[in-house]
Amino acid sequence: MDDSICESRDLVLKNKYGMHVRPAGLFAKVASRYDADVQVEKGNVRVSGKSIMAMMTLEALCGATLHVTAKGPQAKQVLDELESLVNRKFDIPDEQ
Amino acid sequence: MAPGVQTVRVGEFFDAGRDSLQISHVAGCQAEALERSIPEPLAHRPGLALTGFFEHFASKRIQVIGLAEYAYLQSLTPELRRERLDALFAHDVPCVVFTRGMEVFDEVRTLANEKKVAVFVTQLETRYFIHSSAFVLENLSSPRMDIHATMVEVSGLGVLLEGDPGIGKSETALGLLKRGHALVADDYTILRRNGENRLIASAKPLSQGFMEIRGIGFIHVQRVFGVCALRDEKQVDMVITFTRATLETNEKLERIGGKNEQKRVFLDIAIPQLVIPVAPGRDLVNIVETAVCFLKLKQNGYVASEELDARWAEMLKRVEGKEK
Repeated sequence: MDDSICESRDLVLKNKYGMHVRPAGLFAKVASRYDADVQVEKGNVRVSGKSIMAMMTLEALCGATLHVTAKGPQAKQVLDELESLVNRKFDIPDEQ
Repeated sequence: MAPGVQTVRVGEFFDAGRDSLQISHVAGCQAEALERSIPEPLAHRPGLALTGFFEHFASKRIQVIGLAEYAYLQSLTPELRRERLDALFAHDVPCVVFTRGMEVFDEVRTLANEKKVAVFVTQLETRYFIHSSAFVLENLSSPRMDIHATMVEVSGLGVLLEGDPGIGKSETALGLLKRGHALVADDYTILRRNGENRLIASAKPLSQGFMEIRGIGFIHVQRVFGVCALRDEKQVDMVITFTRATLETNEKLERIGGKNEQKRVFLDIAIPQLVIPVAPGRDLVNIVETAVCFLKLKQNGYVASEELDARWAEMLKRVEGKEK
C-alpha cells in the first residue's frame, strides 16, 4: 500500500501489575479498532498487538519497555491512542 | 397496563382449556359471550354470593360452581334459585363453569343465553379445575412480545439467536440440529414472561416445526431430524447476537469474558448476552455450543479469565521473590 505508514514507539508500562489480562484486553481492543497492523516487541519476542494471549506471554511487568510498531494508513492514530492508554495506566483504578 | 400485558378473552380461555381442562361449552354460545374479557384471570367460587351477599364479590373472575355451590342451589326453591342466579348474572361475570360434569340448571341456561355469558362444564373435580385453570390463565395473561430471532435448545440451555436477516441464524440452528440439539422456533419467536419471572420462548403455532433455509426452501424439522429435534417451548437462558465484523464493532466486542456480563432485556427480564462477530470462516455452530459451556461454567462459579489472573499474580510473586 502506498499510503502505508510505518512508525515505532517505545512505551513504558507504569501500571502496578504490568501487562496482565485486563490491560492486554484494553490494548488489543484499541489496536483492533484502527486500520493498521500492530506489533509489540519485548526483548527478542515480537507478538501481535491484537492478541491478548500473546501479549500476556511477554510477561511485561511494571517498568518494562514495549517497542510498539504500527503499519498501515492509521498507524499514527493507533500509536497515539495506545501511548495515551499506557500512560493513563489503562485507567484501572487500583493500579494507578 | 405494564408493557406486553395481555387481556384474556373467554374464547381464548375456552380454546386453551378445551383439552387440558376438559371443558365443553353448553350455554351462552353467542360470539359476544366469547368476546368478553376476564379482567382478573383467576377462578372464584361464588358460594357467599349465592346466599345473596355481594359485598366484595369477585365478579371479574371466572365463577366456578362446585359441589357445595351446586348442592346449595339445589336446596333452594325454584323461585329463590332464579332470584339468586339473576343477581349473580347481573354482576356481569365473565363466564361460569360447572365442575364434575354436573347437569346445568335450566335457569342458568336461560340466563346465560339472555345475558350472553358463556357457561362451561368441566369433567374435572373442583379442586383440580381451580388448580389447572390457574396455569392456563397465567399462560394466557402473561406479558408477551414477538421478536425476529431463532430459538434453540443446546445441551439443555435455551439460546435465543438474534441478528440481521441473512446473517446465518437459521443456518446455525440447522447445524445445531444436526449435532443433536433441538429447535423451538425459527426466525420468529414469541417471548412470554411467566409467573416466576422467567422468559419463555415458543413458536407461532402456524410456523412451528418448520424452517426456511435460503436456497432450499421450507423444511419440516421432525421429518428431517426426528421427533426429538423439536421443543414446544423453552426458557431463555442466554441471548447470542450475531453482528457483522467491522472495525467499529470490534471495539464493543467482549475479549476476556470476565464475571461481569452484558445483558439484554426482554419484558423487564435481563438475560446474559454474547455478541458474536460473523466473518467468513467462523464456525458459528461450534461457537454457540462453546458459549453454552462457557455460561454453564460461569453459573457454577468458574470464570476462566480469573484463573489467568491468578497465574499472573503467582508469576509476580515469583519475580518479586527473586529480586529480594
